Amino acid sequence: MISIQNVSKWFGTFPVLTDCSTEVQKGQVVVVCGPSGSGKSTLIKCVNALEPFQKGRILVDGISVGDPRTDLPKLRSRVGMVFQHFELFPHLTVTENLTLAQIKVLNRQKDAAVAKGRKLLERVGLAEHRDKFPGNLSGGQQQRVAIARALCMDPIAMLFDEPTSALDPEMINEVLDVMVELAQEGMTMMVVTHEMGFARKVAHRVIFMDGGRIVEDASKDEFFGTPRSERAQLFLSKILQH
Amino acid sequence: MSGFDFDVIQRSVWYLFRDGMTFTVTLTLMAMAGGIVFGTLLAMMRLSSFAPLAWVAGAYVNLMRSVPLVLVIFWFFFLVPYIGAWIIGEKTPIKVGAFWSAVITFTMFEAAYYCEIMRAGIQSIARGQVAASLALGLDYWQTMGHIVLPQAFRNMVPVLLTQTIILFQDTSLVYVISATDFLGAAAKVANRDYRLVEMYSFVALVYFVISFAASYYVRSLQGRIAVIR
Repeated sequence: MISIQNVSKWFGTFPVLTDCSTEVQKGQVVVVCGPSGSGKSTLIKCVNALEPFQKGRILVDGISVGDPRTDLPKLRSRVGMVFQHFELFPHLTVTENLTLAQIKVLNRQKDAAVAKGRKLLERVGLAEHRDKFPGNLSGGQQQRVAIARALCMDPIAMLFDEPTSALDPEMINEVLDVMVELAQEGMTMMVVTHEMGFARKVAHRVIFMDGGRIVEDASKDEFFGTPRSERAQLFLSKILQH
Repeated sequence: MSGFDFDVIQRSVWYLFRDGMTFTVTLTLMAMAGGIVFGTLLAMMRLSSFAPLAWVAGAYVNLMRSVPLVLVIFWFFFLVPYIGAWIIGEKTPIKVGAFWSAVITFTMFEAAYYCEIMRAGIQSIARGQVAASLALGLDYWQTMGHIVLPQAFRNMVPVLLTQTIILFQDTSLVYVISATDFLGAAAKVANRDYRLVEMYSFVALVYFVISFAASYYVRSLQGRIAVIR
């Protein structure tokens, strides 16, 4: 579904990604972790071309992301993305947040878009908040709306960029629960996160990045058993202490 | 107060407002609308990643902000008829008239200032908002139209209105092309009746009351329109 082939990226002369290659099969959940500044967010943003890259190739459902002839809006509309800081549109109501792209990008009728939005809002347990503005919701609620917004587009895959790291601790679980449910339903997911509990529960594979390189790309059991690289072992020992 | 004749105000006040103030307010509103639209386009150009576009807009804004307004008014007044003739292919300069010449001038001039306000407004919108919009499949124009500009505009309404109050005062400069705005009308009466002090004092008072009341309103507006984040 998502194929990343020898991708490199520089900011000026500074390398942020070096020769990264991996695959996410249909229905797989892949967790990307690593210390901050390791390039994991940048890598996931390359997948839907929010960040350009200078070398290599990324294919999403067989379509090359870096190809200038690719219809990017169309490609992006098929790949859902959830951001660290939610990025709901604060001047629009929850319902408008959910329907805008359905109407403008997928050309759905307003009634159909609203119905779809309501269904997904119910699914994340926020149906009664549909007429509120994002600023009146808690962080956890906002992130669940953001997930619903992405799901409204019927995506073929979902990208999560540290979806819980801006949340207060007591709200992390309500968001993770939604994500676990999604994973169990067979959604293809690429998740940048430090939530190792989530990784243990639903991930098929774990990718560990450091210094812009993919250092470890292993099945979940292998990764939590004994990571091959020392760097990953050190990282795991640090974040699993708590 | 002997020697002053404040009766002249009472005699001319209907004329001052019916002719003069109508001209001033119409000019202000038209130049505001045109200036904000053109200024927003300029701001989008200035922020474009396509360098020539950004350069052209930047040069325009800097030029307009570096020349005195009176000069621009003169310049357009004498130039617009020729440009108009050139556009429609006439040989003789077209007739534009003081009003439309003033509308064009103030739109072009104020656009440079509105541009800088809208540019700050656009930059005040977090980059993540653009990323989220693009990630949903909206294109550049949809992102601007539905996500960035509505928020930028809302954030900047108080500053845009403050600039419009300045524009309202600046429109009095059209007296140099003999247009009958509020000041122009008062000047005509003042010269005819030789009541310069009375008329100009009255004009100053009217400008002050309107501008002060408008500023007060803008301040009260500021707190009410903020978007909750």
